[in-house]
Amino acid sequence: MTISSSEFVSLAKDTAIGKGASDMSFVVVPHPMGMVSLKEIREKAERVFPLILKEATEWKPEAKLPTPKPIYPAPKMTFEGTIEEFNRYLMDKGFSLGLPVLPPTPERVERMLKGTKRKPNELLGMVPPRMGALTIELVAIHAAMAGCKPEYMPLLIAILEGLLDPRANWRGIQTTTATSSILVIINGPIIYELGVASRQGAAGSGHHVNASIGYAINLIGEVVGGSRPPSPDKSLLGGPGDFVAWVFGENQLALPKGWEPYHVDRGFKKEDNVVTVMGIYPPVDNIDHWSMNPEEHLIWWSYLVTPLLSIGGPCWISQMDQPHLIALGPEHAQLIAGAGWSKKQFRDAFWEKARIPFSAWPKGCPNIDLLIKRLGPVSPNTPIPITLRPEELHIVIAGGAGKHSHFFAPFPGCFPISKMIHN
Amino acid sequence: MEKYRSKLLIAFSVFFLIFGITFFSLGKELKQKWIFLNPEGAIKVEPTKLNLHPPSLEGKTVVLRWNGKHNGDKFLERVGELLKEKVKDIKIIKSWEVAPETVDPITGSQERSEEFARTIAKFKPDIVIAAQSD
Repeated sequence: MTISSSEFVSLAKDTAIGKGASDMSFVVVPHPMGMVSLKEIREKAERVFPLILKEATEWKPEAKLPTPKPIYPAPKMTFEGTIEEFNRYLMDKGFSLGLPVLPPTPERVERMLKGTKRKPNELLGMVPPRMGALTIELVAIHAAMAGCKPEYMPLLIAILEGLLDPRANWRGIQTTTATSSILVIINGPIIYELGVASRQGAAGSGHHVNASIGYAINLIGEVVGGSRPPSPDKSLLGGPGDFVAWVFGENQLALPKGWEPYHVDRGFKKEDNVVTVMGIYPPVDNIDHWSMNPEEHLIWWSYLVTPLLSIGGPCWISQMDQPHLIALGPEHAQLIAGAGWSKKQFRDAFWEKARIPFSAWPKGCPNIDLLIKRLGPVSPNTPIPITLRPEELHIVIAGGAGKHSHFFAPFPGCFPISKMIHN
Repeated sequence: MEKYRSKLLIAFSVFFLIFGITFFSLGKELKQKWIFLNPEGAIKVEPTKLNLHPPSLEGKTVVLRWNGKHNGDKFLERVGELLKEKVKDIKIIKSWEVAPETVDPITGSQERSEEFARTIAKFKPDIVIAAQSD
């Protein structure tokens, strides 16, 4: 039996349906449960206790799953109106994000399918939380809607294969109250073959591959995955990452001498075309115009640690086992490498330096005992690292000229997943 | 002359007809019939079999499962106290005391969810009461 606050019970029910349990036992408590006094929470328990007792002894399962429909081919639909009316219709049906899309006509989808050798009826997986069956044809439909070119299909398919890996925790990114979004890093010669933006403003506007791919990913998440606000997408504020995912190529041309590209760190060959996906919180920007050596630069990174507490950070110890991403600007990378530092040296020094005193941890953190168990005895002044091991700090060279770097903390339960891009 | 006049009249009429239609449809989009493929995709879910709840909690084992969200443990503590007051020979197990590694909101991860379910199942509960959400 699950006890849920009134604001979140629809998400709880949708989650149960997505796992094939359409009729789980629920007891609803008026929202909120968190951040209220002990007296209030005990009174809430007392008020619903008769219901809890009744559900615990009287509830019976009544399986009512929807009748399955064929996953291929996608049914044809018709609509009569202007392009503007057509877009309005798609939005009202929950088939768009509110931004204009190109009509996924059979001809346009057919053209898109020419960009891949995969069969249109191939099932890639089920997109949570709705568990919509994602076929290659459906990928092509959304690629067409987002304005992708057919040659982007192998890249888009690899990204989706990554997101469908349970360790990517696409469900979490799609349903959380946080302003989380999807980050995609592209490595290999495909950056130049396809024209993936990897330098100035790579993750921003004006880059067709990055923008249309980022749009297609979120269309699939929301339309096939059914992750629409206010439920099951519970994002408290939402953000631009809900429309277009973060997509950039690593700036491989700006890699300092002796530093390997990110996909090589992940175990691939330099000549491989690889995509890495990761569920993230909005990044923290390290604006350092002043450091003249890596030691000074690390002081700036240490200042950025405190805000990380407010983006979830180490409150749940499992997050400290997850990889975090340091997206070093090329100029900061050159500053570090220019002093003779390797990538590993910088990573280890970062891990040592970027710490928060134990006393700064929020009082309500539930995993403090587990943290002490993992780290050993702590005093209020003990510096606590961002991750439990330095290996959990990943480094990528991102963007163009300027004195900025970014730190992407992972959304809980999200691990970076790397996939080869196959034509 | 009469012949030329009627031709001229026809030519002018055609010109004004075309010009008029073009002029009045300026700024107006044309309606058309769109044939498109449904982008939603079919739902594909395997049914999960759920256990029946016991008809009475007397002599039964109840696991209270807290996911780490604020006050969930306090809420379940009170539920546990009330169960002990009202139900004879009930055994209450608090997940956060016996398996602190399960104090985790999971936030969507099915793998972790299933791992925690397996951990909790080791305590052989007759029923699990979970409190979650914000």
